[in-house]
Amino acid sequence: MKVKRRRFIQTLAAAPAISAVAQQRGATPPNASPAPKLATTDPDAEAETTPRFFNAAQFAALRKLGSLFMPPRKGRPGALDARAPEFVDFLVGVSPAERKLLYRNGLDALNARAHTKFAKFFADLDDAQADAILRPLVVTIAWVLDRPTDPLEHFVAQAHDDLRTATVNSLEWANAAAAQDAGRRGRGSGVDLFIRPIDPVYRG
Amino acid sequence: MAQKEHDVLIVGSGHAGGMAANILTGKGLSCLVLEAGPEMDYQRDRTTKAVHELPYRGFNQPGRLPHVIQANEFNANQWVDEHEVPYTHDADAQYNWVRVRLVGGRSHFWARQSFRLSDYEFKAADIDGSGENWPISLADVAPYYSRVEAIFKVGGRKEGWPQFPDGDFVETTYPPDSETIKKFTEVANRRGIGVSKMRAAQGQNGLASSINLLLPDALATGKLDIVSNAIVRQLRVDKNTGLVNGVHFVDRHSRREMEVKAKVVVLAAGSLESTRLLLNSGLANSSGAMGHYLMDQLYGVSVVASVPEARDGKAPRGLMGGSAFVPRFRNLKKTEKNNFIKGYCLNISSGGSASPHFFTAYGEELERKLESYAGSCVTGSIYGERVARFENHVRINKDVVDAWGIPVLHIDYRNSDNERNLAKDAANTLDELFREVGWEILSKTDRCFPPGRSIHEQGTCRMGDNPKTSVLNRWNQSHDIKNLFVVDAAAFVTCGWQNPTMTILALSMRASEHLAEQIRQGIV
Repeated sequence: MKVKRRRFIQTLAAAPAISAVAQQRGATPPNASPAPKLATTDPDAEAETTPRFFNAAQFAALRKLGSLFMPPRKGRPGALDARAPEFVDFLVGVSPAERKLLYRNGLDALNARAHTKFAKFFADLDDAQADAILRPLVVTIAWVLDRPTDPLEHFVAQAHDDLRTATVNSLEWANAAAAQDAGRRGRGSGVDLFIRPIDPVYRG
Repeated sequence: MAQKEHDVLIVGSGHAGGMAANILTGKGLSCLVLEAGPEMDYQRDRTTKAVHELPYRGFNQPGRLPHVIQANEFNANQWVDEHEVPYTHDADAQYNWVRVRLVGGRSHFWARQSFRLSDYEFKAADIDGSGENWPISLADVAPYYSRVEAIFKVGGRKEGWPQFPDGDFVETTYPPDSETIKKFTEVANRRGIGVSKMRAAQGQNGLASSINLLLPDALATGKLDIVSNAIVRQLRVDKNTGLVNGVHFVDRHSRREMEVKAKVVVLAAGSLESTRLLLNSGLANSSGAMGHYLMDQLYGVSVVASVPEARDGKAPRGLMGGSAFVPRFRNLKKTEKNNFIKGYCLNISSGGSASPHFFTAYGEELERKLESYAGSCVTGSIYGERVARFENHVRINKDVVDAWGIPVLHIDYRNSDNERNLAKDAANTLDELFREVGWEILSKTDRCFPPGRSIHEQGTCRMGDNPKTSVLNRWNQSHDIKNLFVVDAAAFVTCGWQNPTMTILALSMRASEHLAEQIRQGIV
């Protein structure tokens, strides 16, 4: 618990200084692991997300939104390729009640409007029919916290954001970006510094 | 092992506590720093990851940090867990208290914008008739600012403007202004608005923190011990003298209750944690001012414009890029009449892209618009000053305790018409300036983030010469208990539009030297 000067300085010091001393002694560097680091695979490369939250009609409408909002383009995957609707199903299912309600009501409302106007589910509309319902609901947002006051417009804005993000942040997008950016320098898209849990409270 | 008694016990290890430890150990005094959080090991605790590797694909765990707008899934672990250390506010008065509990505190992560306050802030009551003046002026603090600027290697461009006091800057080379920045500057100057450059601490290796600039030297004296994971519950008081003589703390991991003695206690836990500790201890509040006059800076107002000749990837070299900084320009003269007092600064950034939110489009149509506007945008945002008002306050909520059983704060902050009018003026001014240059406005808002968003909470133990209206004297020393000091921004009387870090550091340095001298003379 007590941070003594020597340990504090060691913490700040760069690792190579320790390594150099260790090499001189022919010893294993103190921070070196005796076990090799094994490569593991991203679950999205091996498996599908099981949709569990939305009912069939709601989920089909969400997939339709995904195909409209983020179609595949210029070698990058679309929302369906990135399995963004499946991820959003998971995300909303673990979200606070307010978000769950926004989504369920929003998807139900899209289906209701599709029935009223075209006697079909939203998922079964062609793109022009879907646009006739969707276009009036897409509004500008001047400020990030300033969501539309109309609940359906709010839902459309939220779903648009979430499906875009779930697509752009997917493994499929990263793979496509890596293929396109091959040979370029840099960390690649979507790579950043991650802070691990820092000394989480001891649970015994 | 027998309990040691240190000369000075410092609660908190961020910029304020780090500076106190640095100065006091340098004067030969033995110090103990108690830090509520753990150490962060930059090698162990940070790694690069792809966003698709994160459990929530970058969305962050829903409901985890509802008040921390800054949180994303990459940095979520650096912020205080709101469920572990909660606070309360009324439903119609949201306050975003954004906290870090680590050795070094928030000094790991600050934006390094480095400004001096001016006498427009120190002597604000003389200028706009509101509130109180500080008991000190820029002249009192200037020598300390200079020393802090040297330690933190603050870079900046000297302007000679009284509302934007120059510092002792390290040599700084700014890249040549882009054409957009030049045009903005011309238009602003025609209105008498001065345009400058950002002033920033360079620190060492990109870090300007307590942990690399202040605490190492203090440790090197052999006079400092730091105990991490020590959550201070209450100050101890000598019943015979009324002086503080140590603290009770609880170990973060084991929840073991402990106590430690000291001749002097210096609070540097951040404005609201220092005040929470004092309120929970029931000390130093004969004035009744403790917890009151909470302030922070107003963020959120922004205007985004697009430069037509930069669209569709056609921007010629040198047109876009760079930034400008406009220090406060409103209400500098008593003759100036606005429907608000105080002022704000403008941050101008050139070369960004448009948000999908700016268009009523989706799919292929939206992607084409985003491509067209990519790199063509100029964004203006503000930091505005909030007025110190008695009714904006914190108090203890005894019905809610944190994970260690310590009663939490209830925060009650509400904007006044002054903040709303200031925000409108800022949005309109940005809009007018951008239009005058000839840019297309894509987005304009005069809305503000909930208070606290700036992470610049100030006040609640303000300083003053009158013990009946202030908690601390001009040396950050309690009026009521002479061996108790509060050296963080709780002492602030006004908050200005400026990032408060340089002022926190300068005042902590000043207070610590005063304390050391009082100890030497046997006064404390």
